Amino acid sequence: MPPPRRRPVPTTPTTRPRVAGLRKRPEQAAPSDTTPVEDAQVDGTDATAAIDTTALDTAAIDTSAARTETLPSDRDLTRPTEVTGLIEPSEDDEAEGETSEPAPRPRPTGRRKRTGEAVAPSVLTDDGAHRAKSDADAWAARHNRPADRSSRLAASGPALPIALVVLAALLVGLGVWFQNRADGVSYNRALVDSAGTTEVVGQTREAIEKAFSYNFADVSATEKAANELLIGKAQCQYNAVFGPVRTLAPEQKLVVTVKAVSSGVTSLDGDHATVLLFLNQITTRTTDNQSGGGTATMRVSAQRVDGRWKVDNMEMFGQSGDQAAETAKC
Amino acid sequence: MDVRRWTLPVAAALAVLAAGYALWAGVSWWSASSNDSVAFSREREEVLRVGQVGIANFTTLDYKKVDEDLTRWLDSSTGELRAEIEDGRDKRRKQIEDAKTVTVSRVLDASVTELDARAGKAHLIAVVETTVTPESGQSVRKVNGYQTDLTRTDAGWKLSALGPVSPGGA
Repeated sequence: MPPPRRRPVPTTPTTRPRVAGLRKRPEQAAPSDTTPVEDAQVDGTDATAAIDTTALDTAAIDTSAARTETLPSDRDLTRPTEVTGLIEPSEDDEAEGETSEPAPRPRPTGRRKRTGEAVAPSVLTDDGAHRAKSDADAWAARHNRPADRSSRLAASGPALPIALVVLAALLVGLGVWFQNRADGVSYNRALVDSAGTTEVVGQTREAIEKAFSYNFADVSATEKAANELLIGKAQCQYNAVFGPVRTLAPEQKLVVTVKAVSSGVTSLDGDHATVLLFLNQITTRTTDNQSGGGTATMRVSAQRVDGRWKVDNMEMFGQSGDQAAETAKC
Repeated sequence: MDVRRWTLPVAAALAVLAAGYALWAGVSWWSASSNDSVAFSREREEVLRVGQVGIANFTTLDYKKVDEDLTRWLDSSTGELRAEIEDGRDKRRKQIEDAKTVTVSRVLDASVTELDARAGKAHLIAVVETTVTPESGQSVRKVNGYQTDLTRTDAGWKLSALGPVSPGGA
């Protein structure tokens, strides 16, 4: 306890005398409690200092309580030494002042009055410097605000927008990735889309059956079908496979009937589909009414053009070497 | 000066828009990957896989390990087909062992033509390349069409019928 009390004495000498002075009159001990603390705080002395002063105040209360019993003057003289050895220097000073001049009593009251009402001013004047400075700063800040802000923006300004733009870019990247994933989910719609599956199967079957069926009496029907329903690579493949039939057919008055006996969609995605076809071919030579048959298995790639599925690629399974060589040219 | 004043709000607006876009894309991804059609498509893929493996199993026989191969037939079949194999097992083994042929097949392409996921029934057609090699002699390669019925069991999809694609139709 003693050491902390000593400390504040040198740091805030101005407040001490006041405290000491206040002690002299009990009634004013209470107001004195507040002021020194304020002083301590406002002066910017640290918390310990403030506590010290309150400690002093309690001491003051003690003394004031004591005063009611004995003469104040005596108390003032004696107390300091009693109470402490603690607050020796300041109390001594005060004691000296009081002993040398009995008149000083009014002085303290005068001081006190100042402190009571004017302590605030005195506080203001003490801190006035600081406050004035801070006010000035505030004013300066207010006046300079735009400039200040702009300077802050200039300093930290680029950082925040850049961070936001980077964030935006990252989010866009994330969104694109999500969309890619969503598109990647694009599943095979074969059978899933039953109407679409039926349509694809029906139209590719029809295209192949019509293009590969041939009646020497109605050549145009076959050519029309081949031109309309086969596109791109499939036309070349068709010519390679069907070429021999074309040359033989008129001579032998051939009737070729191709029928798909089984078929299934292996993939269906939007405007593209792949169909597996099992074909049965019956060739009748009308010159001597001899007929022969054969089977073929074909993987057909189809594309939806103008609302109609058209064949754009054909792969024959187990076709003869010659045919394979011919179609490979396409 | 004006530019500086605008950069922050514009950047913030960009970030908000980007966040909205990312959210929308995420939701669309989520909804795309979790619907019935995707589930049905997966079921179809599973049937296709099982059907291809099953047909390859049934068209592969080595006279040196007939029992092993026939056991595999049994494992990938159910119902009538399985009963048929069990009944004719001895007869078939004798045939193969007498013929001393090694038959190896692979599925070139296949397609699920029907699938009733609820009933657990499916139909599949497949193009199979079969290579038959006698003990002494030239191997013969042939392409055949097969069709099979599949039935879902507790142990997954199994073949319940198997035959050639009939030239007659369907």
